[in-house]
Amino acid sequence: MTSEVFFPSNKSTQAQTPVVSVCGLWKSFPGVTALRDVNLDVYAGEIHAILGENGAGKSTLVKTLYGVYVPDKGDITINGVKAVITSPLDAMRRGLVLVSQVPQLIDTLTVAENLALSLRQFSLMSSVKSVEKFLLDKEEEYGIRINPNTEVWKLSYTQKQLVEVLRALLLNATLVAFDEATTLLPSSEKRKLYDFIRLFRLKGGAVLLITHKIPEAMEISDRVTVLRKGEVVGSFKVGEVSIDQIRLMMFGERFTQPSSTGNSERCVEGREAIVIKDLWVRGDYGTYAVKGVSLTVHRGEILGIAGVAGNGQLELVQSLAGLRRVEKGNVILHVKDGNVEVTNKGPAVIRDLGVGYIPDEPIKTGISIDNTIEENLAIHPKLSSFLINWRAVKDLASSLISKYNVTTPSTTARVKILSGGNLMKILIARELMVAKNVLLAYNPTRSLDEVSAHYVRRLIRDKALNEGMSAVVVSEDLDEVMEVGDKIAVINSGRLVGFFRRGVDRGEIERVMVT
Amino acid sequence: MVVVKRVSAYTICDLLRLLSGGKLAVRSSRACFDLYYVGIPILSIGIGLLISAIIFYTVGVPLDLFINEIGAGFQSYQTLRYSVLLLMLSVGLVMSFKASVWNVGAEGQMIWGMLAGGFVGLFIASCAIYVSPSELSSYISVPGVEVLDASPVKPVISVLRMNPLLGQLLMILAAMLAGGLWALIPAFLKAYVGIDEVASTLILNYVAYQVYNHLVAYVMRGLSVQARQFLRTDRLNSALLFESLPGTTVTLQEVILSLLFFVSMLTLYKYTSIGLRLRVAGSNPQLLRSVGIDERKYVLMAMLLSGMLAGAAGVSILANPGIGKLEKIANVVTPPTFNLGYTAILVSWLSMLDLRLVPVYAYVVASLFQGGGLLQSEVNARFPGLSLTGAALTYIPIGSILLVYVVLRVLVDYSVRFRR
Repeated sequence: MTSEVFFPSNKSTQAQTPVVSVCGLWKSFPGVTALRDVNLDVYAGEIHAILGENGAGKSTLVKTLYGVYVPDKGDITINGVKAVITSPLDAMRRGLVLVSQVPQLIDTLTVAENLALSLRQFSLMSSVKSVEKFLLDKEEEYGIRINPNTEVWKLSYTQKQLVEVLRALLLNATLVAFDEATTLLPSSEKRKLYDFIRLFRLKGGAVLLITHKIPEAMEISDRVTVLRKGEVVGSFKVGEVSIDQIRLMMFGERFTQPSSTGNSERCVEGREAIVIKDLWVRGDYGTYAVKGVSLTVHRGEILGIAGVAGNGQLELVQSLAGLRRVEKGNVILHVKDGNVEVTNKGPAVIRDLGVGYIPDEPIKTGISIDNTIEENLAIHPKLSSFLINWRAVKDLASSLISKYNVTTPSTTARVKILSGGNLMKILIARELMVAKNVLLAYNPTRSLDEVSAHYVRRLIRDKALNEGMSAVVVSEDLDEVMEVGDKIAVINSGRLVGFFRRGVDRGEIERVMVT
Repeated sequence: MVVVKRVSAYTICDLLRLLSGGKLAVRSSRACFDLYYVGIPILSIGIGLLISAIIFYTVGVPLDLFINEIGAGFQSYQTLRYSVLLLMLSVGLVMSFKASVWNVGAEGQMIWGMLAGGFVGLFIASCAIYVSPSELSSYISVPGVEVLDASPVKPVISVLRMNPLLGQLLMILAAMLAGGLWALIPAFLKAYVGIDEVASTLILNYVAYQVYNHLVAYVMRGLSVQARQFLRTDRLNSALLFESLPGTTVTLQEVILSLLFFVSMLTLYKYTSIGLRLRVAGSNPQLLRSVGIDERKYVLMAMLLSGMLAGAAGVSILANPGIGKLEKIANVVTPPTFNLGYTAILVSWLSMLDLRLVPVYAYVVASLFQGGGLLQSEVNARFPGLSLTGAALTYIPIGSILLVYVVLRVLVDYSVRFRR
């Protein structure tokens, strides 16, 4: 692999000088102090993980390094020289590149056009053809297979993320920060990404891996720094500290052994709640993504759907929520007052039956980041009437914020100032509340830290057990499906290829997922 | 070679940082955010006036004249009238802009308000009839009857057919209905066919002008000699005209209407689900769809509301005692709407789409509008050979401010950098 061009070639001559050093950094937002006196050194040839629960200040820290935020106090030094980073462009020029959880790509442009915007090798005068050719060569080299001519909106999440990674690699970065960028990647792609990261480290590059997942941090990093409530509570070499000690650092007194979400196999009998018969749904490209799926979920039962991303599970959930046309087959919901055929009835009818929906792209379809927390709750027709009682909404918001432990300055804060996990908690809180009969969820605990994720899964299970809610939970995270589902179905190429009871061996599920 | 890249915090700090070439690291804080809200409009007005002063100065208009006339605009009675009309229009526009429905068709909707209100006023609430010249004198003393044309050959009288208050109410309702329906055409096109409303509402303004001309000149043309001669309608029966406030050109009815609209839109916006849904339709329509609300209906709602309010503004112009009739538009640059439908867009933008600020900027923009008008007549009288003439003069201050505002918003909301 001839990657000298893209990886820093000078193998850190002075190992003592950190590539990036942060000293006494403070940053506060109205009502919240996001960073308190943070110190951090990242050395060349090191993979440095920043661990912390949702709202611990991980993203704020990395955005400060990336020039998005200006620190209130404190210094940033790059290669021993004090630096004031004024903008992301400035950060890029200094060799710092951020790959974030939400792909920062322009949807209507092609991959080549997007990359040409940030690559210095190309100016506006370069022909798109030459960029395409260059990219094809490079993709070959890295083993990333994405057609540079494709418009970005057509790409899957994974593919968008790979484009982001490719961009970082092509920018000759000395430090690449991954802000939860690997969290949602399927494990095969994740491993591919880890290979790039290791290679990058070998060539003397520095990597900042921001994550709330302990296993992810332990898997490839050399050093881990733990943040809690904006403070550094520990920094250590991997292997020096046990996982339990790390959990204790991350969550403090909130930490309890995350297990036992009612592990016992519940035997759910009784009435059917969701009946799907021979469902056919088309994907974005016009071909069938769901090919004849038939399913039955009983009252109080949770069906987990496992599968590698892009096998039709997204289209399945969207069609159940009324947001995608069903070409053939039907969906019947059995609710308290009778059976309702909801095939192609549209979201209004479906939601009116007490259906909660946690969508695949929360920021795009689940929440409005320019509106406040209160507005995001009140917008649901089930949670407010024509005249909105804002006091009641405020009380509701406050109770949900404390129940889900959301870090926010107030109930009238715009959702865009919340961290990814806190934003997700608002969405989950609203949807679990309206899910009187049915919950449809796609990756419900994405971007939640371990404790919050377990809490949410327990809430779903409790609600199913105590209130008779039925749920279809799709997740790209197999552990989640196994933890939450009473029944597990595996989807592959639009067909259900396996059914398992709770407590099945993980290996058995994995086998049918990939064949 | 400009690359525009969106940055996360929308503050005036970014502007300062940009202007200082990145050397000035500005802390973002609450104060800065307020500066954004208040600073942009004020900066736009300041810089815009400066630019127009320079334009006038270069073509030979002395600075003191410019300052005097613009200053006079702030104290003129006519300003009050424009403020009231602009308030009515802009409140409606803010509602639709909040939903990201860019209604630039208030002009056409006003025109329809005039037509519908005029139709009700001229043909339902009253009517014009020919009488025999010999009987004319006997009608004069009848209540509700007034002479439109006392010509010795074919005299024309207007006869009131209902309670004048009811008549006025019907005129207003008809105007709102017509304005709203006209606005629904581009709304349907946007919601169900996907046609951009900026283009369609704008184009429909000119369609409305043409329809207006046809109707006024042929269908609604008056009976009196003057009306037939100048292709206009008869004058409204004076009982149906709105009532001027003493010493001003503002009418009581339009003041009541605009306050009513202001309060009701504020309430609708803040305390009802319609307001919240319009707000969310503007920020994330997909969320509406996902929670089971048809987001397309709120496109219709946004246009309907702003169209209705524009219709009411239209009839308020018609029913002003100073006007009272519909005349054929000779030149589209000077329609009977005084172009207020366009000027109201500026008011909405300067108030940063905050309903509470609309009255303030309605007054400021009305003053500049009136000042521009005063300047125009003064300059035309004193400098007959000037290259700038007519309405162009009136709109120089307004246009300059709009331009500066748009540029400032782009500079502040986006960070613009030059690349080689």
